[in-house]
Amino acid sequence: MTWPIGEFDDLRRLRVLHAAMPGTVLAETMLPAAFDEVWSVLGDPEQGFPGLVPDVRSIQITARDGERMRAVVRGRSGLRGSFDLILRPGWCLMQSRFVVFGMAAAPAGDERDGTRFGYLSGVRVPGMRLVSPLLTPVRQRFAATVLRRFEARFTPGGHPGK
Amino acid sequence: MGEDGPADSAEAGPVRMPDETVRRAQRGDLIALHDLLDAITPYVRRLCGPIALQDAPDAAQETLIVVLRSLGTLREPAALFGWVRVIAVREAVRIARRSSRSVPAELIDLPAPGDPALATDIRDVLNRLSPEHRAVLTLRDLEGLDEQTASAMLGVPTGTVRSRLFRARESFRRAWRSEGGAR
Repeated sequence: MTWPIGEFDDLRRLRVLHAAMPGTVLAETMLPAAFDEVWSVLGDPEQGFPGLVPDVRSIQITARDGERMRAVVRGRSGLRGSFDLILRPGWCLMQSRFVVFGMAAAPAGDERDGTRFGYLSGVRVPGMRLVSPLLTPVRQRFAATVLRRFEARFTPGGHPGK
Repeated sequence: MGEDGPADSAEAGPVRMPDETVRRAQRGDLIALHDLLDAITPYVRRLCGPIALQDAPDAAQETLIVVLRSLGTLREPAALFGWVRVIAVREAVRIARRSSRSVPAELIDLPAPGDPALATDIRDVLNRLSPEHRAVLTLRDLEGLDEQTASAMLGVPTGTVRSRLFRARESFRRAWRSEGGAR
């Protein structure tokens, strides 16, 4: 006897985190590249993130235990931060003392051969639950800009920042 | 992969979460929230699947949102899975009732435990039941709860469930045999 089990992909999982975390913004899109191609870039933070993930000039993994990592991120603004990472196929979370960041990707599951992609970012400061609604429009515009960068990166002939 | 198909990773039962991880998740730690989702998502999928059927992905998502948003109200981490179960069943019934697709053509009472039809085609049985009945069946046959406890969790009178169960066997079998004979 096999009972039905509800499916639940990582994009839904990212929506759950967004709904539960005030101060975060979530944006989703369809990347015009196969999942394997997308994750061959995003699954390698040190090579794939700089120039693609906002304000990441360089990232260095300093410790690794399976899918859990510690990393030092240097931003374009010169800031340096220590992050905890979770990284597995189709799923990446990063957290520093003040910032959270997440990505989820899943095959589109049809003949378009694309990849469904979600991007989450936010800040961790006291009082964010009160301030967050005021900042939402600005952060949503920023998230849309970030998504365009990812779309350009995975469009044949495109490049980040296009 | 189908939206409500079986998934081996969801077969496992509840796994005890370290209290400290639950406490960190309650404070909004992203990594702890990730660990919490890893622990409870298979359980939530297993509960939402048979109750919400084709709406199970939505039911699981809504359940996990309610769980994470309400996490601060959970006083005892050891009670996590019992607390999640109550939320999952409530959300799955709510989502299934909201969907017009989930309204059964006719209300058939619950099959008795061990009914051969359950072993033959559980999906067919579930499609014939209302969301509340599917929830009682799930709690009884998957979770091992007695009907009184399941009824209380759903806010359905125990007497109603008992009488329906008493009438269930023959009416269910008649319907099932009739459908089976037409195949």
